[in-house]
Amino acid sequence: MTKTIDKNFSMPKCFNERSKPSLYCPGCGQSIFLKHLGFIIDDLEIQGKTTLGIDIGCSLLAWNFFNFDIVQTHHGRSVPVAVGYKLSNKRRIVMSIMGDGGGYAIGLQSLLHAAFRNNPISVFVLNNTGYSMTGGQMAPTSIPGEITTTSPSGKDPKNSGKAFHGPELIKQISDNSAYIARASVSNPIMLQKMIKKTLENQIKNNSFSFLEVLTPCPTNWKTTASESFNFLSKMEKEFPIGEMTKNEK
Amino acid sequence: MKNDLTKIVISGEGGQGIQTIAKVLAESFKDSGFYVSYIPQFGPEQRGAPSISFIQYSTKEIKYPRFYKADYLIVLRERAIPATTTFINSKTKVIFDSSTIRSNIIKQSENKKEAVPATKIAYELFGEKNLNLVILGYLTKYFSLNKNDVWKIISRNLKKKFAKNDKLEDEAKKAFFYGYEIVAEKKIFSKPTFKTEKRIIYTKNDKREAIISPELCKGCGICIEKCPVGALKFSDEIGVYGNRIPEIDIDKCIACGNCFRFCPDCAIKVNKKK
Repeated sequence: MTKTIDKNFSMPKCFNERSKPSLYCPGCGQSIFLKHLGFIIDDLEIQGKTTLGIDIGCSLLAWNFFNFDIVQTHHGRSVPVAVGYKLSNKRRIVMSIMGDGGGYAIGLQSLLHAAFRNNPISVFVLNNTGYSMTGGQMAPTSIPGEITTTSPSGKDPKNSGKAFHGPELIKQISDNSAYIARASVSNPIMLQKMIKKTLENQIKNNSFSFLEVLTPCPTNWKTTASESFNFLSKMEKEFPIGEMTKNEK
Repeated sequence: MKNDLTKIVISGEGGQGIQTIAKVLAESFKDSGFYVSYIPQFGPEQRGAPSISFIQYSTKEIKYPRFYKADYLIVLRERAIPATTTFINSKTKVIFDSSTIRSNIIKQSENKKEAVPATKIAYELFGEKNLNLVILGYLTKYFSLNKNDVWKIISRNLKKKFAKNDKLEDEAKKAFFYGYEIVAEKKIFSKPTFKTEKRIIYTKNDKREAIISPELCKGCGICIEKCPVGALKFSDEIGVYGNRIPEIDIDKCIACGNCFRFCPDCAIKVNKKK
């Protein structure tokens, strides 16, 4: 039996087919996240009015990933660019994707003030506990005891601090209507639901929404598929998954 | 020996072991009494990006590690060719991997080309990770170095990897000495059989159907890890990075959709038939 199968058989419709196979390493968690983001954009039918700001780091490899507008920004500055874009054109749905280096190290003040002002954008920070594009150096998000290229004997919490918890920090200053959550690639169904809520909060409530995603980096962790997911479950103990709710007085 | 400076460029994909070859070669030239310079060119730390290394050896002191035209160019993957064509001039001798690269892509006259089907040899005899050792074995003979001395340098450089697994050292040693004995192909080259085919692998039975695309699969193995019934395993088909791709046992499969959900590159899908 012959059957013609679309080349696009398992991709979201908003993917740029010509850029595939993508530039990401084998087993990269970011491309799993982008795939589910693509499915949600298809689901909400917002491909025509979406703008995505990308950062320096592995997130810039998404520059031709989708068939919608993508803005390449300076390191850590994809949030201010997204905020400016949203202010000038309120009907667009503006997203920003960063790594943990861009979001929590160099671009933290931009992120905090966007959350403080309650700017209606969706921010995704992909946390893989290291600076991956430059060779896996220690980052604020590295978990205590983690071996990286700049901490060969394991991260020492005395000198380098504990792991940086972004959503917990942003929760303290954000508005009550903001949506703040943490998801993991190890649970794609929950990830999809949280991505959907992050985008819907921007569209319906017109307020800041933030999602941290825990992603594996097999190239710099030097792990196989099963070891990556073991390390990811170790990360999930350090960074609890779920939605952050504000304490109501 | 000649007094001249000899310039070598080795290039391939990141993750193939290009820098290991270059480091070992540089150390062996040093041990045979030459002045050596070796400098790697890194792009982003990424698997699949072109990786290039520059080696020079001479009987005189070397002033500067970079150069623009090479005497010898070693290319191991088609993807690395655009990054290396600038190093070719009329005198450059090109050594390439004929099992992954078509010879007419390389713009150099026929009598300056040589080929080793290294990927084919590594896959069929020693496992794909030993590709760089096969090439290194060949280059050892090509630059008339002593094979036993070079092997000592290899085992010193790869000590950590060998310590993890005993079998690895045996395989590596066999691959290296096999590479030393290879006679290179000249003028008539074997066909590049180890290239990704533009097709879709379609498997079905009366309940469900599975689609795998070798063009997209990078061989990360996540689908195999996440399959709850163990219906997936690596096959001999070649994916986009010269990796092995999974094959599906459609009768074992329960169409849970985990492989589809976890695949980073949208390369697999299983459908239930209605």
